[in-house]
Amino acid sequence: MKLQLKLSHKGIILVTVPLVFATVFLLILTLLLNQAEKEIQAQIRAKALVTEAGELQKSFYDAGVAMAGYSITKSPLFADRFDNILKQIPKILDSLNSLVGDNPKQQQILAELKSIANSALKILSEAKTALATDEIDIAQMKSRNVYQQARALTDKLKVTINDLTADEEQLVNKKNSPIDSKLQVKIFLAIGFLINIIIAVLLALFFSKGIGKRIEILTDNSIRLARGQELNALVSGNDEIAQLDKVFHAMAVNLQEAMEKERAIVENAADVICSINSEGKFSAISPACKELWGYSPDELLGRKFVDLVCNDDLPETIKSARQVRQSKVTTAFENRTLKKDGSLVTVLWSAYWSERERSMFCVAHDITQRKLAEEAIKASEERIRTIIENMMVGLLIITPSGIIEAVNPSSERIFGVTAKELVGKHILALFSESRFMDYSKDYDRNQFLETFFTKSLNRVGEFDAIKLIGNDEDFPVEISLTEFNVGGSLKFMANILDVSERKELEKMKKEFVATVSHELRTPLTSIRGSLTLLSVGALGVLPEGVKKVVSIAERNTIRLIGLINDILDIEKLEAGKLDMVMDDLALSNVIERSQESVKSFAEQHGVNLIMAQTDIKVHADGDRLVQVLVNLLSNACKFSPKGGNVRVDVIDIPNWVEVRVIDQGRGIPEKFKNLLFQKFQQVEASDSRKKGGTGLGLVICKGIIEQHGGIIGVDSVEGQGSTFYFRIPKIKEPTEINKVILKQA
Amino acid sequence: MKVLIIDDDEDSRSIARLSLESLANAQVSEASGGQEGFDLANSDRPDVILLDLLMPEMDGRQTFQLLRSNANTASIPIIFLTIKGMFDEFDDLKANSDVLVDLIVKPFDPTFLAQQIQRILI
Repeated sequence: MKLQLKLSHKGIILVTVPLVFATVFLLILTLLLNQAEKEIQAQIRAKALVTEAGELQKSFYDAGVAMAGYSITKSPLFADRFDNILKQIPKILDSLNSLVGDNPKQQQILAELKSIANSALKILSEAKTALATDEIDIAQMKSRNVYQQARALTDKLKVTINDLTADEEQLVNKKNSPIDSKLQVKIFLAIGFLINIIIAVLLALFFSKGIGKRIEILTDNSIRLARGQELNALVSGNDEIAQLDKVFHAMAVNLQEAMEKERAIVENAADVICSINSEGKFSAISPACKELWGYSPDELLGRKFVDLVCNDDLPETIKSARQVRQSKVTTAFENRTLKKDGSLVTVLWSAYWSERERSMFCVAHDITQRKLAEEAIKASEERIRTIIENMMVGLLIITPSGIIEAVNPSSERIFGVTAKELVGKHILALFSESRFMDYSKDYDRNQFLETFFTKSLNRVGEFDAIKLIGNDEDFPVEISLTEFNVGGSLKFMANILDVSERKELEKMKKEFVATVSHELRTPLTSIRGSLTLLSVGALGVLPEGVKKVVSIAERNTIRLIGLINDILDIEKLEAGKLDMVMDDLALSNVIERSQESVKSFAEQHGVNLIMAQTDIKVHADGDRLVQVLVNLLSNACKFSPKGGNVRVDVIDIPNWVEVRVIDQGRGIPEKFKNLLFQKFQQVEASDSRKKGGTGLGLVICKGIIEQHGGIIGVDSVEGQGSTFYFRIPKIKEPTEINKVILKQA
Repeated sequence: MKVLIIDDDEDSRSIARLSLESLANAQVSEASGGQEGFDLANSDRPDVILLDLLMPEMDGRQTFQLLRSNANTASIPIIFLTIKGMFDEFDDLKANSDVLVDLIVKPFDPTFLAQQIQRILI
């Protein structure tokens, strides 16, 4: 198995292995030195032991000699000497004892020595005592005896001491001599040092061999990477070098992929990507050129770029190319270029000049379609602008806060000032309200804006505008406001129509109608009065024939009067000036009065009236409501078959009451239903002559009902009769609580 | 029963006279203008006055005020003759008046006129 070591680990090994070895070496050396020291100590001790042993032996010998001298001479000199020696002996024994230490064998010998010495001391003491007291002969004999005994003991002692010294010498000899130890240390030092060096060198050799070779490969790989060549195989190992090599390989793969992608982009780009050298020739070009110009890359490579440019655009293109060379950044220019088939294609060039490569790198984008679209937009804009500039309606673009942003020429005409003066103003400045409201104040502005938007947003609102110059008079305008978004910001477009002329005309028309109707009535009053007086016989009985024509004249005069009345009503309704007298009244009363009115008419048509009973109260103009119901009833009678029924139903629905007039007539075709409530509409044009009526009745009914806040309508199936209905708010019954409040009030 | 008709249109006066004489059995006098009518009313003391609203010079409103302001004529009931929709303030006038005022819309039905006059004077 191969050791997979990292470079740092190898470094650590390289340092630690010799270090560990040196440490162990040092430890052994210390031990050896300690050993030598101990041996020297033992030598010294052995020598002392031998000396002391000799001293002991000599002491006993001296004691024997002193005793012998005393026994012969009785001289106290010998006695003193003898005593001194005896005193000396225990000291020597102690000294020996301390020298022997913990050596068991020597201790044994020493113990023996001690007992022998003590025995000898005892005998010597006895001998001395005997010498002092006994007879000289006996004493001599005893001393001789003692001496012999002592002699024996001394010999024994000598033997023992010899044992001791021999043992000691043996001990010392058993170990190396100090001289041997020193040599040993020196040899050891030398060997250790050598081994250490050898280990270090071996390790260094081993590791450097693995690293050096691989770094070489790595360096080569880096060069290959830079050149874009294929790399060597991965180096072995798992250390930093191997990893770095892996990184190089990964980089090479990425680089390869990136280059492939780039090439794919260049080759597949819809735009032509190319480089043009300093001579203006294509040095590289992407395949899209086939699509753009019809030339393959091979056809264009080496050709001059300007060959493609349309002659008209050549000077401008050369100028642009010069600018590109001078500029440090990507520069864009447009020109028209010639395709292989001779047609023109407009190209947007994005070009960059590289001084290092001495080439211009370009992206050529086909903008022919865009150009066409731009031109179309331009034309469209031109058209729209022409329309806007020439339209009669004034256009103002305003911000949500009411500031005018743009105007058309008509606005200038309407307000009497130039566009410059209008733009930036608040719209409040354009209206009569600015006479009492201050358009520089936010509060006034907002208050006006609220009215302005409410009245005109997505509908037509009427306002009194003012000329911004000179003329103090108001003039009526109609304004319709539309909301729109420009680039995410909300704007409003105000269509402004000066309706002064129209209003003037309307006023004239109204006055004309009023005058005409008045002027018509005066003679009609006389005609009608005369005819009626005739027909009722107030002026005498008329012959039958005369009576008939007088009655025809009278009937048509009444119809003419009705028509004039209706027209006047409608004028008033449209002006919102129909006078209404609102009151709380019982609906039953309205129904009864209406029934009374049409009773004879219904009889004439042979129609039965069936009226509903109700106790519902409404807030309404009773006369006007009767007018509506009479109108509906007489219509129903007019269009009912003889013997048919006309029914009035009252339906109570929450907050409202609905009155229905149901007939069994011919019904109303779907397409006429909406026309019914418009002026001068009858289902058949001939109806107005056949059935009478002005065609204005329902229009007036609608106006009256709407002024009551109600609705009017018709349900009908052709051939199955019609149901005309109107719905008005009913008076709410006071709730219990309200009743109490009302009572208190 | 004495009725005074104040109207600038002669034909209208004639029709009214004929209607009232034949249908209501009234005794009718005529004036063609406001001032003339006032003078006549002041001297004749009619039971009721028919007053046209639209007249040149002194119109029906002015004549009405004049009649009201004069003690002799202040209490005489007055029926205005007018065109539909021409007399918006009539309701106010009627509500604030202490004598009887009424309104008949031209062109009127002679029988209706006669009935109204009779009704007032009952």
